[in-house]
Amino acid sequence: MLELCRHAVGAARSLGADYADARVMEIRNQHLATEDQRVSGVHDAESMGIGVRVIVAGAWGFSATSRLTRPDAERAVRQAVEIARSGAAARATRELHWADEPPHVAEYRTPVRKDPFAVPVEDKIGLLLEVNKRALGVKGVTKCYSHMHFRRQHRWLATSEGAAIESDVCTSTACCTATAVNGTTAKQRYLEATPCNIGYEHIEQTPFLEEAERVGAEAVEHLSAKSCPSGQKDLILLPSHLALTMHESIGHATELDRAIGMEESLAGSSFATPDQIGKLKYGSPMMNVVADNTLPVGCASMGFDDDAVECQRYDLVREGMLAGFMCSRDTAHAMDAARSNGSCRADSWGSIPIVRQSNFSLEPGEAPLTLEELIADTKDGILIDGMGSFSIDQKRYNFQFGGDCFWEIKNGKLAGMLKDVTYWAITTDFWGSLDAICDRRFWEPIGVMNCGKGDPMQIAQMSHCTAPARFRQINVGPANR
Amino acid sequence: MDEAQAVEILESLLKHVDADGAEASFHSGARFTARFADNRLTQNVQAENATVSLAVSYGQRHGGASTNDLSPESLKALAERAQAAARVSPPDPEHMPPVTPEEAGEYSQVEAWDEATAALPAGERIEAVCAAMKDVEAAGYRLSGAHTSSAGLHVLMNSAGVRCAHRSTESELHCTALGDHGSGWAQATSVRDADIDTAGVAREALEIARAAQHPTDIEPGRYTVILRPAAVWEMIPFYLVCDAKATDEGRTCLRGKLGTQIVDERVTLRSEPAFAACPGAPFQGDGMASSGLSWIGGGVLKHLCTSRYWARQSKRLATGWPSNLIFDGGEASLEELIASTERGILVTRFWYIRDVDPMESLLTGMTRDGLFLIEDGKISRPLIQLRFNDSVLGCLNRLEAIGQCERVENTYVPALKIRDFNFASKTKF
Repeated sequence: MLELCRHAVGAARSLGADYADARVMEIRNQHLATEDQRVSGVHDAESMGIGVRVIVAGAWGFSATSRLTRPDAERAVRQAVEIARSGAAARATRELHWADEPPHVAEYRTPVRKDPFAVPVEDKIGLLLEVNKRALGVKGVTKCYSHMHFRRQHRWLATSEGAAIESDVCTSTACCTATAVNGTTAKQRYLEATPCNIGYEHIEQTPFLEEAERVGAEAVEHLSAKSCPSGQKDLILLPSHLALTMHESIGHATELDRAIGMEESLAGSSFATPDQIGKLKYGSPMMNVVADNTLPVGCASMGFDDDAVECQRYDLVREGMLAGFMCSRDTAHAMDAARSNGSCRADSWGSIPIVRQSNFSLEPGEAPLTLEELIADTKDGILIDGMGSFSIDQKRYNFQFGGDCFWEIKNGKLAGMLKDVTYWAITTDFWGSLDAICDRRFWEPIGVMNCGKGDPMQIAQMSHCTAPARFRQINVGPANR
Repeated sequence: MDEAQAVEILESLLKHVDADGAEASFHSGARFTARFADNRLTQNVQAENATVSLAVSYGQRHGGASTNDLSPESLKALAERAQAAARVSPPDPEHMPPVTPEEAGEYSQVEAWDEATAALPAGERIEAVCAAMKDVEAAGYRLSGAHTSSAGLHVLMNSAGVRCAHRSTESELHCTALGDHGSGWAQATSVRDADIDTAGVAREALEIARAAQHPTDIEPGRYTVILRPAAVWEMIPFYLVCDAKATDEGRTCLRGKLGTQIVDERVTLRSEPAFAACPGAPFQGDGMASSGLSWIGGGVLKHLCTSRYWARQSKRLATGWPSNLIFDGGEASLEELIASTERGILVTRFWYIRDVDPMESLLTGMTRDGLFLIEDGKISRPLIQLRFNDSVLGCLNRLEAIGQCERVENTYVPALKIRDFNFASKTKF
């Protein structure tokens, strides 16, 4: 396939492209879904094609086709060049800055011990049905859904600068959701093998069978939980929950294309702008946020991005101050960077690469601190686990989040489950209230598989890593206030 | 690729199938997008794809697979993959055999194709967008947005004899106009590129942006609101069509409400695949005819989205899911709705709406791109954006007036005036 990519790049150059890249992707998705004791879906989807991106007279053109013959690739090249020429003729393109990158010739593969696609379907279904059975065995649980999803993305990328990259990325995840219903309402609780770039061993290492009954029991308990009091409380957020808050209030806010207005009409922009690097107080001094697409299990780790830039590790926030943005080769200049940090990806062969969130981490606390010690140190708070409702404005200032499960903390001890918990804040106020993070022993990656951005919409995957952390005096209450 | 070629591919695929039941579908599509930001073109993107999907069953065991490699070898492998999955799946008591032509019902004649749009005239789109950007730039504002034209073909065949095809085109433009202290937004969607007035949409966004400059503070609380159609589209219709099985099992906000008055009697929400201003697909993914029916009529919950299996269990009509949604409008213009309001807030559109408590149809979301205070029947000043927490059913029981409709995406929805709408917090711009 690299040969086909090189052929397309050569064809583009011969048609006058100043730069060209061609990217073939073979994507396989396997979904297995169960509802109670039935198999509701088993589907195996394959998609393959080539996307060609060119710069002609300072204008971008992109064209993609699912046909992988040389003549079809040449047709895509002609369309891309023609589109770029139309843009150039309109004299309405941005001034193009294209950051340098050595032309890498390399391969990257996700470390996989057990290929999930080689595991028999009946074994996977058997596990899902057994998990459902155990959760449904809990009195009061009336519904249990569970599913597995495996994705393989095999990519070949060649550029007119001489880069030639092959990557093979495998992602695995599974989830079980138990529902309890009474006469007036329904509550859910989930257990997840968080999305990771890893093999089936990830599913085997997640204690689905051991934890299914607990998950069911917590769904039932949630029904009769005390309603959330209104007021200001200290929040202890577990990684399974905090990852989404990080995604929305740090990740999207530090995408450089948003920050310079390129996503204004759809995803929005950002309160953080490049001129504020080193000046904007994002959070408390213990807030250190590091992007890292070299993290082996991270869902955004693919060796090299779709700009053919080597994946890197870099600061987004350092000691509470804005330190950088995630960028592409054509946006790096906006933060005076000579090199892209490798955060430009497309969700398929048919999509143009755009700036996407890297894996990134809220660095753990340096002093030893366990979750138990953190709870014991909290007088009046709420512990939140799992993802629930989430919403944030288009500049990433005002947010409101729910969660999957909530416990009241009174005088250093858990004091029963709560329901209808939401919290809301302005991003910089929230991160300014961060006052404790558990240490590295409790730091873990949480995967996100459904991050929407772009127009037409692209769905990307990435991971966010954190340990449990505490935020002081946050507004909480039931949302129907 | 045309319908005849698609049929040939599906017939070739079905020859490899030895399962008891099979359903093969072909989807092809092509689209062109001219994307722009800050008065400059940013992305011009063209893509085409064609995918074949196969669902097979042996008795109650079922499985499926899909590919976009349409070679004979790939089609054979596709059949083997789907059948292999089905053979090892445990029997599913809810699996239904392929739809028969009698069961499918009569397909609506849907006119959703425009040859000129299907040609994806990239150069023309780019020129129109660039002209609009120049107008907005001359006014001292910045224009961002995207204009996408697309064409698609869906062909479905099954082992029970169903064979149906539908082709459609769509042209969609949305624009955000930005000043230094506020923004405005407008959109248009049609089957035909020629219906899209690029300059007009940009001008509408610009006018809203002009009025939205220098927004002022207001305390969150309950206000009468006028929601423009784009705001209604995001907040209202999709939350009023619930799955029948989940509802009957007590897991949706419509539990126990079928046949009862759930909202103001002026509310009618329906589907009509052949509705010219906003056509839907004439058939569902399984080959059943898309229903033309009222989900809510005169405020009464008439139907839930009912699968064939659940229709048999509950002895109701198998409705499938809506292929379009039409919220019947009224006569009042937006100006008349504003003029009738002593004090209230005008919402251009919403952003990032999410469930908070789906059992209570409770949602949260932000206003975006133009929020205005109305006093004494006139817009008095622009406002800082607000977050709402309110329930869909609650809003439609606090309905003051229904305005005129427009197409937004695959819905046809009116402006609505609602009293005591709950704004919960505010942002900083």
